[in-house]
Amino acid sequence: MNTFLAILTYFAYCFIIGAYTVKIIKYLKLPTHLRWELYPVIHEEKYAYGGSYFEKKEWWNEEKQKRYAKGILYLLKEYFTLGDYLTRNVLYWLGLFPWHIGFILIIAFHILCFFGALFMVLGFTISSGSPDLWGRILFYSILITGIVSFITGTVGSILIIINRIIDKSLRTYATPLNFLMYIFTLVVFISGLYSWYFIDPDMKEYREFWKGLITFHFVGVEVGTMVHIILFDLFLIYLPFTRSLHYITRLFAFFLIRWDDEPNRKGSELEKRLIKNLNQKVGWQGPHIGAGRSWNELARYDR
Amino acid sequence: MKIEDISKNTEQLVTIESKDLIPLPYPYDDPANEPLMKRLTDDQRMRYEASLDGIIAIGIPKPSSKEEEEVFVKKFLSGLEKLLTPENNWTFLQPLYHSLEYCVKCQICNDSCPAYLASGKKEIYRPTYRAEVLRRIINKYIKKRNKLLLRLTGSDIDLNWTLVARLGELAYRCTLCRKCAQVCPLGVDNGLISHEIRKIFSQKMGIAPKELHELGTMQQLKAGSSTGITPKALGNIIEFMEEEIEEKIGRKIKIPVDKEGAEILLIHNAGEFVSWPENTEAFAIIFDIAGIDWTLSSDLVGYDAVNYGVWYDDIQLARIAVKHAEIVKALKVKKINVGECGHAHKAMIVVADRILTGELNIPRESALPILADIVLNNRIKLDPERNNFPVTLHDPCNMVRLMGIVEPQRQILRKICPQFREMEPNGVDNYCCGGGSGFAIMQSMNFPDWRSAVSGRMKLKQILEVFHDVIGPDVKKYVCAPCSNCKGQIRDLFAYYNVFERCNIFYGGLVELIVNAMVDIKKPFIEWEWR
Repeated sequence: MNTFLAILTYFAYCFIIGAYTVKIIKYLKLPTHLRWELYPVIHEEKYAYGGSYFEKKEWWNEEKQKRYAKGILYLLKEYFTLGDYLTRNVLYWLGLFPWHIGFILIIAFHILCFFGALFMVLGFTISSGSPDLWGRILFYSILITGIVSFITGTVGSILIIINRIIDKSLRTYATPLNFLMYIFTLVVFISGLYSWYFIDPDMKEYREFWKGLITFHFVGVEVGTMVHIILFDLFLIYLPFTRSLHYITRLFAFFLIRWDDEPNRKGSELEKRLIKNLNQKVGWQGPHIGAGRSWNELARYDR
Repeated sequence: MKIEDISKNTEQLVTIESKDLIPLPYPYDDPANEPLMKRLTDDQRMRYEASLDGIIAIGIPKPSSKEEEEVFVKKFLSGLEKLLTPENNWTFLQPLYHSLEYCVKCQICNDSCPAYLASGKKEIYRPTYRAEVLRRIINKYIKKRNKLLLRLTGSDIDLNWTLVARLGELAYRCTLCRKCAQVCPLGVDNGLISHEIRKIFSQKMGIAPKELHELGTMQQLKAGSSTGITPKALGNIIEFMEEEIEEKIGRKIKIPVDKEGAEILLIHNAGEFVSWPENTEAFAIIFDIAGIDWTLSSDLVGYDAVNYGVWYDDIQLARIAVKHAEIVKALKVKKINVGECGHAHKAMIVVADRILTGELNIPRESALPILADIVLNNRIKLDPERNNFPVTLHDPCNMVRLMGIVEPQRQILRKICPQFREMEPNGVDNYCCGGGSGFAIMQSMNFPDWRSAVSGRMKLKQILEVFHDVIGPDVKKYVCAPCSNCKGQIRDLFAYYNVFERCNIFYGGLVELIVNAMVDIKKPFIEWEWR
């Protein structure tokens, strides 16, 4: 059983990393598209009111450096506050916010468990009374992120299910799989809560389990903790099949679409990519198209 | 109403009732006085698809046989497949993929859609509705998911002629204002979904509203302009404009045409020549007095900035963009200035930027910064007292939310209109006039009534609200709309509700206000006559 649990955990982490990587590569490999930005654009000096460089005469004479920090900070803030939802639908936010905090923290909890285990391997003691400062920091970090994650995740899962049921516009578009997902996450968080409250108040078992994974000396855990670990592993395996990657693709959507105001300059890398796109053959067959030619040829071809 | 109802063979999916529409402020606050939208005749209903909401924008002919139905559906599916391939849709595949894959259906975007709100929240106009229908078709018929997965993902939908025809019509109930996309926390763009559905219909099935395709891009490429103005007719119009200018300002101005090597090629929406010549005349007066080295083009397509392709067909978009660029190259002018036309701004300066490579990548800019420069730097003498009446500004979506040109027009108005006031919301958060994405020029059957009563309703509400303290006909008021299509929509909207007579609200462009304030001109330039 110990080996099974370890292999499942290795597999779950490898699977989610692999599947997310494939999905991210697929997204990023999509061809450079036409400009389709929306204002305000975050890196614009006139961001406050949504202005752009098109407000200037002969805007092409200015070389602009894209600044990413502001955009990343904006998105990070949104990740942790979900402020757009708070402004536009408070009731929905009341469920969504704890649900997402639960996700962020449960991942942080497992990462911290890994580091806790690593420090243990290096000889540190991880406990409340550890002589090592890092041992105490890790102990409390693991404990707090775990407990907060399990509680907010549980509350969030319940509220989000209620929200999707009572709000007609959410209910109309909700699918059975959405509810299965919410129930699944609820079970994952509740199992963590149960394991912490009834079995492992110091989260020691998780650290020992992770130490076993690092040293390949797999250890056993109590049934309650094991159930949570299995559920969390299954959850990791399931995540790539959901829309969960929106945490990352959102970054792409903002930087590569909504805020992409990069002008096409002669001889630029962008222009080279566009020329490649324009040289592709068009397969559309509308009567006015003149199929079989490239985009470039068609643009000069009068029907 | 369920999402899958779109494929059910019912007589009509939704009916627009006056009582459901969002209330308007005084003096339009009595729903009993709401103009009745034209009902389709039995003959129209028999001949064309009208079972979505009893409105016809495209006019898809009903099939005469089962085989015809099947061919129609097959063509749609084949088009949808192409839409998802990089070689056929490199132009928008990444944003489309994102919107199809990562919408979590939180419905945050709903309350930003003017048509959805104005209609009294009719399900079919919800920004996520058409996207969800398309997503289900893709899951079932392109990805060919198994039955269990279809059920679990709520993707079971029957693809038939009714669904496809309704979806085609539905793509023309969204003005592509993209206010819904602006508020999406995940970067999903449901406006783009409408755009992409339109592309399947045009690029694969050869179906598009007549005003956009046959009388739009096709006529523009063939005759020179979507208005039908030929280069020869343009000559007569320019002569007429010069005479009118002389009559209005008391001195002759020679409008330069095809002046090689000029600093600026000014390019208007040709609709201005036909419907609002005072706009093109005002440009000529300002540029002449400010000493700008400019010219118009009389070359085929060179005198019409419009590019309707941006609304429904990427190939047509590319053709017109290339034509514009070739004309500038041949005329050896330094740059293009786009006049007061929102979608031409967006198409020519922004979207076509990634079509025009090499020598075709000629400098293109909006006329608004130059106008702001002229006004703010006192290059012409202006007396704001001449514009001492309440003025508000409509923000054309294409110029503002989709391009970020927000301040130049405001700087001008603040300087020359002492009673300038902002409607709410404004700037990049504005509401569409209701005529976006070609609606303003689409005159099919009862569609103009829909765009006045539904898609333009929020704009009318905003205009009435901003002038609420002076709403009576005793005070003349002006809605400044620096965009031809917005002006066309506001004209029709005002006519539908009789706004000019009841409230004395007039509309027009920005340059007209500038010329109206010029001290060297004796008579007021704005004539306050409803045409």
